[in-house]
Parts: sequence; C-alpha cells; structure tokens
Amino acid sequence: MNAFFRKLGWWLRRSDKEAELREELRFHLEEDAGDLRDAGLSDDEARQAARRALGNLALVQEDTRAAWGWTRAEQVARDAAFGFRQVRRNPSFAAIAIATLALGIGGITAMFSAFDAVLIRPLPYADAGRLVMIWLEMAKTDVTSRHNATPAEWLEWRRLNTVFTDLASSQPGDVSLSGDGGPEQVPSRKVAWTFWSVLGVRPALGRAFTEDEDTKGVKVAVISHRLWQRRFGGSPGIVGRTIALDDQPYEVVGVMPSDFYFMPSRDIDVWIPASFPPWMRRNFSWHDAQIVARLKPGVTLEQARQSMAALSLQITAKDFRGPHSVIVVPLREEMAGRTQTALIVLLGASVALLLIACANLANLLLARSSARGREVAIRTALGAGRGRLIAQFLTESLVLASLGTMAGLLLALPVMRFLETLVPDAMGAARLALDWRVLGFSAAVAVSAALTFGLVPALRGSRSAPQSALRDGGRGTTAARGQWFRHALIVVETALAVVLLTCGGLLLQTFQHLRNTDLGFRSERLLTFETPLFRYKDFDRRVAFVNAEIERVRAIPGVVGAGSINVLPFTNVANATFYLLEGQPRSSIPTQVALIRNVTHGYLPTVGARLREGRFFDASDRKTDAPVAIVNEALANRHFAGRSPLGQRFKFGSLGDKGYWYTIVGVIRHIPENGMLAEAKPAVYRVREQCDQIDDLSAGIVVRTAVDPESIVPAVRQAIWSLDKDQPLARIQTMDAMVGRELSTPSQSTALLSAFALLALLLASLGIYGVLSFAVTQRTNEIGVRMALGATSGEVLVSFVRQGLALTVTGLAIGVGLAVAASRAMTALLYGFQPGYVPTVTVVALVLLAVAALACLVPARRASRVDPVIALRSE
Amino acid sequence: MPPRAPSRVELLQGTLELLILRTLRAGPEHGHAIARHIQHTSENLLQVETGSLYPALHRLEAKGWIAASWELSSKGKRARVYRLTPLGRRQLTAEQSKWDAFVRAMGLVLKPLDQEAP
Repeated sequence: MNAFFRKLGWWLRRSDKEAELREELRFHLEEDAGDLRDAGLSDDEARQAARRALGNLALVQEDTRAAWGWTRAEQVARDAAFGFRQVRRNPSFAAIAIATLALGIGGITAMFSAFDAVLIRPLPYADAGRLVMIWLEMAKTDVTSRHNATPAEWLEWRRLNTVFTDLASSQPGDVSLSGDGGPEQVPSRKVAWTFWSVLGVRPALGRAFTEDEDTKGVKVAVISHRLWQRRFGGSPGIVGRTIALDDQPYEVVGVMPSDFYFMPSRDIDVWIPASFPPWMRRNFSWHDAQIVARLKPGVTLEQARQSMAALSLQITAKDFRGPHSVIVVPLREEMAGRTQTALIVLLGASVALLLIACANLANLLLARSSARGREVAIRTALGAGRGRLIAQFLTESLVLASLGTMAGLLLALPVMRFLETLVPDAMGAARLALDWRVLGFSAAVAVSAALTFGLVPALRGSRSAPQSALRDGGRGTTAARGQWFRHALIVVETALAVVLLTCGGLLLQTFQHLRNTDLGFRSERLLTFETPLFRYKDFDRRVAFVNAEIERVRAIPGVVGAGSINVLPFTNVANATFYLLEGQPRSSIPTQVALIRNVTHGYLPTVGARLREGRFFDASDRKTDAPVAIVNEALANRHFAGRSPLGQRFKFGSLGDKGYWYTIVGVIRHIPENGMLAEAKPAVYRVREQCDQIDDLSAGIVVRTAVDPESIVPAVRQAIWSLDKDQPLARIQTMDAMVGRELSTPSQSTALLSAFALLALLLASLGIYGVLSFAVTQRTNEIGVRMALGATSGEVLVSFVRQGLALTVTGLAIGVGLAVAASRAMTALLYGFQPGYVPTVTVVALVLLAVAALACLVPARRASRVDPVIALRSE
Repeated sequence: MPPRAPSRVELLQGTLELLILRTLRAGPEHGHAIARHIQHTSENLLQVETGSLYPALHRLEAKGWIAASWELSSKGKRARVYRLTPLGRRQLTAEQSKWDAFVRAMGLVLKPLDQEAP
C-alpha cells in the first residue's frame, strides 16, 4: 500500500521526477568522466568514454521510468484518449454504437433497480430470510384455497409447534382517527404482542406494547413515522399522548422507524393490540388471523412445512369441515407475489435486449476492424505486440461502453418512474433510485458488455499479417474467415428477437383478454367510497344510517343513482361462508363456500349488474324472516345446471338451525368481486336488512353520476356530514381507477415487454442491414466481375436478399424453439388465459420476415447497381 | 583449451539489488559510487551496467527499501544519495541468508572437479 502511495506521489510530480532523473544521470556521467580523467585521459576523451559506457541514454531513462510503475496506467490512458479520438473522428459510427448500447444498458439498469428493490434488497426486519407466513390450506372449498388462520389455531400453534421460535398473529383493517383535526380513516393492523419480537423490530421512539397489555385489552397504540410527521408534526411529546381511534381513547406508546412496513401495505399507520376476546380464542372457524413466524435456527423451510402440516391436521382432526393442512410461504415470496414472475420475465427480456445490442456492436466493430487492417498492419510493422493491440481494441470498446452506459442511465430514469407502479402493494410505494447498488450493477454490465462485444473483434483485428495487408494496395483486408462469426451473431440476435416478440405477443393477447373481460357491470362514471359504521352501536341504527346516506347522496345534482355494498368489488377481503341448499345432507357443507355481499335495494341496478333471470331487489324486500337472495352464475351453474334456481332455498352453514332460509329470486352475470385476475367464485347477494349474521362495520357506497364523478366529491362529503359531522369517509375513488389498478401489473409488464420486443426487432433488422451492407462493400469487386461475366442486376439482388433471409429464417427457427421454453416460464403472467400460440408465432414470423426483407433489400439494391467498369477499375 | 579465470562475471538475475543493499549498509552513497564500490570490492569481476543500476535503484526506492535525497558530493555537486531504510535493512538480512543458502546448495552440487572419481 505504501508503495502504491509512493508511486502515486511520484506520478503527481512526474515532471520533477523526469528532471531529477536527467540530473542524476548527468551527475553519473560527470563522475565517470572524472574517474577517467584521473586515470589520465583528456577531457574530451573522458567525456566520450563515459558516454559510451553508459550506452543508450534514452533507453536507460525509459527503463528507469518503468520502475516508477505508471507506464501501464499511462498506456491505458493513452488508449482511452485514442478511443475518444476515434469516437470524435467517426461520429456516426459512435452515435449508432452508443445509442445501441444505451438501449441495452438502460433497459437492464431500470429492470435491475426494480428487481433489486423487490427481490434482493433486505426487508426491514431482523434476519428476514427466516420469516414465513402461514395460511390454511382448505382446498375443498370454493372461494380460495388459502385462508387466514384463526386466533385459536395461532394459540395452539404457539403452544405445540417445534419449528418456530415464535409466531405472531395480525389482522388488517381500518381505524378512524379523530380528536385534534378532522376525522380520518387510516389503515391499521391489530397485532398480537409477539409481532415485534417475531419480526425483530422496535419502535424508533417509545416502546412496543407488552403481553400484559395485549391480554388485558389495554388501549395502547404504536403509530407510523409517517402519521407522526403528518398529523402530529413530528412532536417528541407524542409518546404518552392519547388519541381517539374509532372514538375510543388510545395511548400512543411508540413510533415505528420510517423504513418499517409490513403486509398488506406500507401504508399501515396504526398498530394496536389484537386483544382477542375469550370466545375468539376458542373459535376454530373465525378466520381472521394472518400468521407470520420465525424459523428456529437450523430448521429448513421444508421441515417447517412438514411439521406444521402434521400439527394442523392433528389440531383440526375434529373440525366439522374435516381436518386441514397449512401452507408455509417465505415472507419475501408472499410480499413479491405475482410481481416476482413479471420481474423475472422482464429482467430476462432486458438481458436478451442487451445481448442483441452486444451482437450488433460486435458486428459493427468486426466490420470496422477489417477496415482498420491497414492501421493495424502499420502498428504491427512498427513493433506493437499482439497483446498491446488487443489491449488497445478493448480499451476502445470500454470507452464506447462507458459512453453508452451514461446515455443508458439517462434512458433508465423515466423507465424506473414507470416501473415504480409495478412494485407490489405489500412493499408500498417504493422509490426506485439510481443508488450505488444500481450504479455498481450498471458499471459491471458495461464492462462485461464491452468484453462481450469487444473481445472477438479485438482478437480478429489484432491478427493481421503486415506484409499481405500492406501489399493489398490500401484496400481493407477481406476476411472471409470472419464471415461465419458475423452470420452466427445475426442468427443469435434474430432468435432472441423472436423470443421477445413471441412472449410480447402472448402477453399482449392476455392483456387484451383481461381488458375485454366482462365486468358484469358498467365501471364508467361510478364514484365509490367507504363509510365506517363504528359510530352506530346496533344493527338497526347502522341500517338506518346507510339508508339515510344513500338518500342524501341520491339528492345531489348530477347523481343518477346510489347504493351500498358491504365489500366493494376488487377489495382484497374474502368475506365468505359455508352454505347448504335445501334438501342437501349436512355433510356437503364443508365443500360449499360462497362470497357474501350485503347490499341496499338500489346497489345492483346502480352498478349496472345484468340479470340472467328473476328480479333485482326492491322496496318490498324488508326486514323479515322469509328473506330473499340473488346468486351469481357461478353458484347457479354449480348446483342448477340446465334448470332455473329461482324459488330454491339455502341457508348459511355455520349458524346451524338458527339461520334463515333464503329464497333465490334472481341470477346475475358474474361480477369479479375478488379481483379480475381471480377465478369466478360462487357469490350470494342479499339485502342488508335481511341479514341473519353479525353484520358489517363498514359500508361501501357507489354513486352513478351523469357528470364527471370526481366533480361531485365535495357535494358527497357535504351530504354525509350533514347527517353526521364526525362521520369519516375513506378511499374515495372512481370505479375506473379501481379497474385500472386491478390491471396495472399486467398492463405495465405488457407495455414493457412489448417495448423490449419492438426494440429487439429494430436492432435485429439493423444488424441484418449492417452485415449485408458490409458484405456488399467488401464484395464490390466480385460483383463487378460477376456482372462483367454476364450476371444480371436482378440475379445479384436475389443472391444478396437470399443470403440475408437465410440467416433470418435460421434465427427464426431457433427462436421459435426458445420461445416455447420462455413462454412456459411466464405461465403465471397469463392468468389462466390460453393465448393463441400458433397465431402469435405466425404473426411474429411474418413481421420479422417482412422487416428482414426490407433490411436486406436496401444493401442488395446497392449491390445490383454496381457498375462493373467502375468496380473493376477501382481494383 | 585450459580453463582460465574469467575477467568479467555476468550478474545473476536479481543479485544486483542484493549488492546495492549490501553496499548501502556501510552508509549513504550516490549511484556512481555504488557502482564503483561493487566493482572494486569484487576485484573488477563484477561490472555494473548503468542501464541496470538506475532502474534497480528506482525499483528499490519504489518498494521502500531505500530512500533517496539530494545532497552535495565531496566535489560540491548535487548528487542523489541513497540510504538504507529500516525495511531495507530487514530485507538485506533475509536476502543475504537466502543467498548464503543458495551458494551452499550450489557448492554442494558442484563439488571441486578433482574430487570426483574419473
């Protein structure tokens, strides 16, 4: 290290060093001459003898300088400077090269930043790799195979498991925050006291709550850094202060660090103790606990899976629905969800694009190194070694790569803004930034790209026999031997382009399919919001408030209709239960689950639901013990295929004999209540007044407008507040926005992959064009000879087009094979849709051939117009 | 032809540095004096080429085994004088024992010719 700094110091004062060396050698000569004079030589003789003894002064200086240790660095600098000069001297070549690289490197940089943020960057928990989520696997039921666990199971698992250090239960929900400032609805999470120790997190300010506080139901809360800043101005006095949550006083005991988040979204602002009531601690069918657990040291995921499956089967052996197993998922996988596949596919696509860019650049450089044969020959003749030449060529490639990377980073920034919306909700609205990780990655990519595209041209270009090249009379060397490599590059990039185009086509079809999915209702000009009902203590008052709300909203000018539903479409809440049709044995209960939606009379007509048969609800459907229901097609088709379900009766299973018998009065077309990307599930709609179960603590409101739905938001607020000035409104948004968000992952990934595919097509056709152009230039003489011997220009044209298309077809064939494998990797992005593979490939093939033919035609026409006289004279 | 003592010996690769270090142990010297000293002490058998001497001196300086400064020579001229650093002194000991081992090993293999059975 010392030696390094010493050398660096010498380098900084290198002109002094040169002067010193000259002086040192002069002193040596004088001393030598002095000695010789003492031996009796004359002054002149002595000086000359000393000079002879020293030998080649320049060489001595050169050798000594080498000991200073920066000749190599100087060499690199000289090569780089030469590289930059080349860029300036040949701006069009440099522009093409840099633009090509910028596309490749920009794409991969942006993709990597998203990939890193979602899949690599450590989650904000201690040793997050040991954290897993546990879900119940209830494959027999219809709604979803994955269920929340029950608090009772959580307690049993804590007591009996052997694979976790601990488990924590948590339940998402909203809470209304009031007191100082207006009431607002904030996302909250009820968590068991073990939550903090399982995740290994601690509040940045204050403390987390204790086991004692949790079990005794003490009203304490931990709040997010964001809420603390936003609502309480970051005041340090927040700890110990009392805030009102759902009108109950809670003492704030802690503030979490700003980077903390936990599923289902980063937006959670309030954490309060779960404080399960005694009945919930014993109830094995209250599926309201999401479980996160920490693996014991040394326990593998597989061991945990087996152990927990066995434990769950044992605990639920006597469950009336039959025993069930559990699903253990690593936390990271749970959070990344489907985005993981999208990111992997897109990163793969960006790698393919970069490879295509590299192939193009390698071809460009090969063409140029042939043209530079004369320069190389001269350098070789002057004594440059092969290693020295390779180093020079590679340095030039590095110069191009670094310029391309800089341009690529500029391109990456807008792509990154676009990608931010792809980050899963569970990880919140992460900002993607060009931080040191991403920049380091780009630098590594730039270097490996430079080696990828620069190595072969460097090896080829440096292999020049000076005599033959110089004798060649100034023409570049014609390197027939380089032909196959250039052609292989074209085949490879065409194949990659085919893969990208095919995958892009499949995604595009899937997206088209998703966008054309029948929503079962009309989403345009529909405003939605939620009103929590905690302020109304009993069922009748809640119903009365919701009905009053609807009346007030309906009276707003520009409103066509309004209705209420307990859970708005696309809300990630299952809200489902078992049901039993009249005449079925009780044993069929465990296999039948339906989504339950409680609505007001006007809801279904307001959203524009379509009846298949029967009727909608009307004012005559009042509170009664002979209630009615409307079912969706999924339920009707499951039990009444080919006949009408109207008049049939069912009841909800877990209530036993107390439940009402509901008579089916209508069947509606499927509405994707639990998401457009999910399968159609059986669903039951009933009027809120006719509910027989614990009812809902929140009402979703939909408002159909004749005007822009955003424009009536203030009037809606006024209408609700005229009923109750402290009533909070939550999640005000249009239905179109909800649909858009629902499709954001498929639309983003489709848009990006299509963009990559189009760029790939562009680059591949440029590659074909480049290689043929080069061939035409190289073979001008040959063409001249052939035409002089009687070949027509048509024949020359055909021969060049045929050559280009042969490469394209080879690439196409390989690409189709690869595309089959690649499309298998992205099944998860097709959402169960089966896009037409053969039509996609056919279209891709036609487009590619058309573009390639065009790319061939331009240089081929140039070849066909060669004038034999001129071509041969230029020999 | 009868064998005769050579008038000059080619320096073995790498030995020049050892000779320089050994020479500087007696005290600071400039390049020319170092070359002269090696020549005299070896009874003119070792001739130090200027083309090797200065690169070697600068190499040793880069490694930090010797240090250089400008001083006035006995004749009142500015000379670049080299001096052994503590690190160089340690290196000298190490190199010297390596050399001794090498000489011993060579001596054992190349026993005087007349001792060998014909």
